[in-house]
Amino acid sequence: MRHAAIIGTGQTNHTRRRDDVTQPELIREAAERALADAELKPSDIDAVIISNMEMFEGRAMPELWAAEGAFAAGKPCMKVATGGTSGTSGCIAGFHQISSGLFDVVLVIGFEKHSEGHTQTGMALVDPFWDRSVASGALGNFALSVSQYMAERGVTEEHAARVAVKARRNAANNPHAHLKMPDVTVADVMASPVLAHPIRKLDMCPQSDGAAAIVVASEDKAKKLSPRPAWVNAAITRHEQPYIGDIERRLATMRTLKDASRVVYKQLGITNPLEQFDVAEIYEPVTYAELAWYEILGFCEPGEAGRLIEEGVTAMDGTLPVNPSGGVLCANPVGATGVIRVAEAALQIHGRGEARQVDGAKTALVTGYGVYAWADVIALGAEPGGN
Amino acid sequence: MILESSIQIPFSYAAGDVGSRYLIALRDDMQLLASRCAACERVACPPRSFCTACAEKTSELVGVGPEGRLISWTDRPGRGLFGLIILDGATTAMLHRLDIPAEMLGVDLRVRARFAEERSASPGDLEGFELV
Amino acid sequence: MDKVISESTTERISVSVPMNQSWKYASGTPMERFCAGLKEKRIEALQCEQCERRYLPPRPFCGNCHKKLKKWIDVKDEGTIEAWTVLNLPMLDGRTGKPRATPYGMALIKLDGADTTLNHYLGESDPKKLKIGSRVKAVWRDELIGAMSDISYFEVLP
Repeated sequence: MRHAAIIGTGQTNHTRRRDDVTQPELIREAAERALADAELKPSDIDAVIISNMEMFEGRAMPELWAAEGAFAAGKPCMKVATGGTSGTSGCIAGFHQISSGLFDVVLVIGFEKHSEGHTQTGMALVDPFWDRSVASGALGNFALSVSQYMAERGVTEEHAARVAVKARRNAANNPHAHLKMPDVTVADVMASPVLAHPIRKLDMCPQSDGAAAIVVASEDKAKKLSPRPAWVNAAITRHEQPYIGDIERRLATMRTLKDASRVVYKQLGITNPLEQFDVAEIYEPVTYAELAWYEILGFCEPGEAGRLIEEGVTAMDGTLPVNPSGGVLCANPVGATGVIRVAEAALQIHGRGEARQVDGAKTALVTGYGVYAWADVIALGAEPGGN
Repeated sequence: MILESSIQIPFSYAAGDVGSRYLIALRDDMQLLASRCAACERVACPPRSFCTACAEKTSELVGVGPEGRLISWTDRPGRGLFGLIILDGATTAMLHRLDIPAEMLGVDLRVRARFAEERSASPGDLEGFELV
Repeated sequence: MDKVISESTTERISVSVPMNQSWKYASGTPMERFCAGLKEKRIEALQCEQCERRYLPPRPFCGNCHKKLKKWIDVKDEGTIEAWTVLNLPMLDGRTGKPRATPYGMALIKLDGADTTLNHYLGESDPKKLKIGSRVKAVWRDELIGAMSDISYFEVLP
């Protein structure tokens, strides 16, 4: 297996509604920007991967309408549709296509136009026998798990509010973020309306229209084309059982995220992720999830997540800055969101994070999350093959 | 046991700049517009933002039709007649409904667009094609 | 015929396409037996003979052991709240295109006899009255058709 690296990224400015463009036009914006960033032409792309969920925009085969916008017509192209993990899983598929020697340059594009459909409704249309009559959507599903997690691990609404403040202030440095609130306070978050107990509006991610793309290249091409490739040093994915009720104490235990991260850590010789990664872009649809992920990813012991956020360990000037981009909390075009995490981490390694750059970042941890407990964990680095 | 389960969700899609101009021209002028690629000279109707062949952006729109040439057709029992029509001035074919007696059908038949009486800048403003 | 229009439009058109489709799904044997039981207010789970996990809904295979599930277990229509929430944000029900009236309570309920939890509605929607550990009991509809919706919601027991 040969090394793969990310040599270019591109994103739209994510926002509530892009009624000025069709889906292929939105995709084209991100794809063009990624190609320009990599200094490549459409004819340099060997294959295209598209991440998007059919039911969110209610049209069959998104990769069909998207083909021209994605430069995919006449090329190998496949779609990855795995809920929130679509973007990270799509990137992982691209990494495999490069590492295996199948292709030398792959374009991965994720997109979503939530404004055109009803996402909470679409995602509830799972097993027709069991789930549809009692579906609570992403918000309801999280709210259920949050009450259980709080009771078990002692995190408070105030801890969650601190996560929101970190994210929304970080987003002010990110030109692509949908929600930027440089002056938001814990009091603001705790005064925002309760959407689903105990999750408040400012605890929750938005629904965004947006697209994001990365260009992945083989080792030879990356060395020729990029001054500082972001090397893909590990990429692991885990799926899960079909019903929310199958997963005991979901936020506290998420075995998929735990397993995937431990495989990555073992591959790279990581024994202390908090110290050994320079930056993390993790997939946190709600503030409480970020706290749970701190524990599951081994940044701290169970029950310590509140202390981590209180002490600023994951702030921009902390030991391990988490989500300098503002994270999912500040932009969530679902099919793109996982690609955004990878792109933001790649920018950190490229040293082009601008106002949101973590100085000297050489190793980045990326996670994807979807549905109830699907998880992707990816490690990027300035050196190929390890930290 | 068989369960019948239905899905009812109201979707609504942005037509984009080129798409909006096409639909507005149908509503206001009963005019069909096509996109012309400056690089390869393909003229596509309905118009789209990127050339089908060379992926170049296409924002220049030209009038085509309302007449054209039927190049292929099929009869879907219960759903009606559908055909591929190359409108005068276009180089790609458009798939649409035909309102033509079956015995008259033939390749290269001349057909003409029929527009709805009440139009609202939606795809249904173009009802189909009939004999010239 | 040669009319070139090159200005962009400021009128942004959106095309409305309501989806209204139905599909017919085969239930398979486990779900068929489960649904037949609902008509008699009977709830049954399937237990994995290897890991002993009692699964609701019943399904053909244990996801962890990959074994076919054959052992049926009776489950009460009463259980304990393991997690709860009250939803204030209306959400369209995809089967009808209409929103469910808010606020409404939901819970993950461990029914007596099952190891998985059931995601269902609660009769209570005041967050002050809901807590983990409360006992709940199913409220069945008058007309039972053999579907999950035969349980209207769970009432919190005093």
